[in-house]
Amino acid sequence: MKKLFAVALGVLTAIGGFVDIGDLVTNAVVGSRFGMSLAWVVVVGVVGICLFANMSGRVAAVSGRATFEIIRERLGPRAGLANLGASFFINLMTMAAEIGGIALVLQLVTGIGPMLWMPLAAFAVWIVVWRAKFSQLENAAGLLGLSLIVFAVAVVMLGPDWGELAHQAFVPTVPASEQPSTYWFYAVALFGAAMTPYEVFFFSSGAIEEGWTRKDLGQERVNVFVGFPLGGLLSLAIAASAAIVLLPQAIAVTSLSQVVLPVVQAGGTIAFCFLIVGMLAAFFGAALETTLSSGYTIAQYFGWSWGKFRRPAKAARFHLVMIVGLVIALGILLTGVDPIAVTEYSVVFSAVALPLTYIPILIISNDPDYMGTEVNGRAVNALGLVYLVVIVVAAVAAIPLMIISGAGA
Amino acid sequence: MKSPTVRAGRILDAHLHLLDRQVLDVDDVPVTTVDDLELSDIPVDTDLDGVEAPVIVSLLSGAVLGTRIFGGRPPSTRWHRVPWSSLVELGTALKVDAAADDLEVSWPERWVRDHIIARIPGGRHDPE
Repeated sequence: MKKLFAVALGVLTAIGGFVDIGDLVTNAVVGSRFGMSLAWVVVVGVVGICLFANMSGRVAAVSGRATFEIIRERLGPRAGLANLGASFFINLMTMAAEIGGIALVLQLVTGIGPMLWMPLAAFAVWIVVWRAKFSQLENAAGLLGLSLIVFAVAVVMLGPDWGELAHQAFVPTVPASEQPSTYWFYAVALFGAAMTPYEVFFFSSGAIEEGWTRKDLGQERVNVFVGFPLGGLLSLAIAASAAIVLLPQAIAVTSLSQVVLPVVQAGGTIAFCFLIVGMLAAFFGAALETTLSSGYTIAQYFGWSWGKFRRPAKAARFHLVMIVGLVIALGILLTGVDPIAVTEYSVVFSAVALPLTYIPILIISNDPDYMGTEVNGRAVNALGLVYLVVIVVAAVAAIPLMIISGAGA
Repeated sequence: MKSPTVRAGRILDAHLHLLDRQVLDVDDVPVTTVDDLELSDIPVDTDLDGVEAPVIVSLLSGAVLGTRIFGGRPPSTRWHRVPWSSLVELGTALKVDAAADDLEVSWPERWVRDHIIARIPGGRHDPE
């Protein structure tokens, strides 16, 4: 019974923790402009994150080494440092986006401008990282994040033409009003949002935080292969809700209030309340994950003591990095940039950085020195290589597509 | 007790098995990453017959990382050493027989702890 509860909890937090501001905004924008015609990218992205999150979790559980230790060990100090710089920069952008997202949600509820909420949100994130236990922060954010299921409920309540949605999804075409370059730009952005590298840093470091070993691999697989796809369905529901309500009226999503619109239209105040709780939990959870990831990546590159399972004084530099990271993220936000714009750029840059993270993981998970008998099977390696090609193509195409399409304008 | 992984005569590739690996202390607390290695000196410009082959003296950390990336050679006064003799296990991480706080290389960690982190309320307590 207790075991079953643990499995259920793991799956639920994986679902609730899957969607962050990058997924939410990108899916809503895509739904409002392209309908379901990019749904296939979400599917490709979810399969990819399942594959590589599972791989990194397995490496961490079997060898006790987290992802960035491996990146440094395999790429050497120079390429590793370049990778660290890129990953840390993108992680900072994502952090800023999540904290800005919390502020925007609070603005929706209270009407008080986001500038006031940003420092409070950043401070709240720090307090939780400073004092709360790892398992508690993960469970609370994940479970409350499940409220985002309201998007799926809204899609059903809106009573859409299911045949039309399915047609958009299974016979994808570029809408007449959009350029092909814009379509492909958003394809790369969606892919980057689904496969954001911080998820892997967090997942592998989290496995060590919770002391996972070989015998926890079963639970880990269930979390990944059940939880992530269901989280992906949630992403599709966000796109569908926008496709049903916003696309016919030609409203392109540029703010959080437009993301909320279809849900409110379907379910009124109650749905709105669920959505607010869900978004707050999802963004706050992701803000915690990105903050921790900023500490994980730097501490693991330099070999410093890290981890929430140690008291702050026993991982001093790790905590200092997170404090500095939060201050910089807050600084970015207080310049007055639109958090939604930061989000959109962060997912594209994530796509650029994907190979830096995923290639070393694929190499190490085949190294018997690290993995013993748990090295990748042939099928996993074949799929991994296919994804490597997709990842490299997306990374190479991201910046040119951004320039050609004017960042999706 | 030294593990059999550090027995004499084991063939190691410095790049593959030593450099950039995590160093853990006696309680598995991460100490540093191996940024470079210090080898014992051999005489220059003389006949090497009868001269013993160089051996690894210590694992290095700190400023040597910068020079490994950008080139150059820092003065040996700025090397932070973990003596090779303290190594007790050599696997996917290197384990030493001392506590992290007793090692010279961990001074920046101690500095940040004593001057910043431990002074913030709650910094010395377990998470709740």
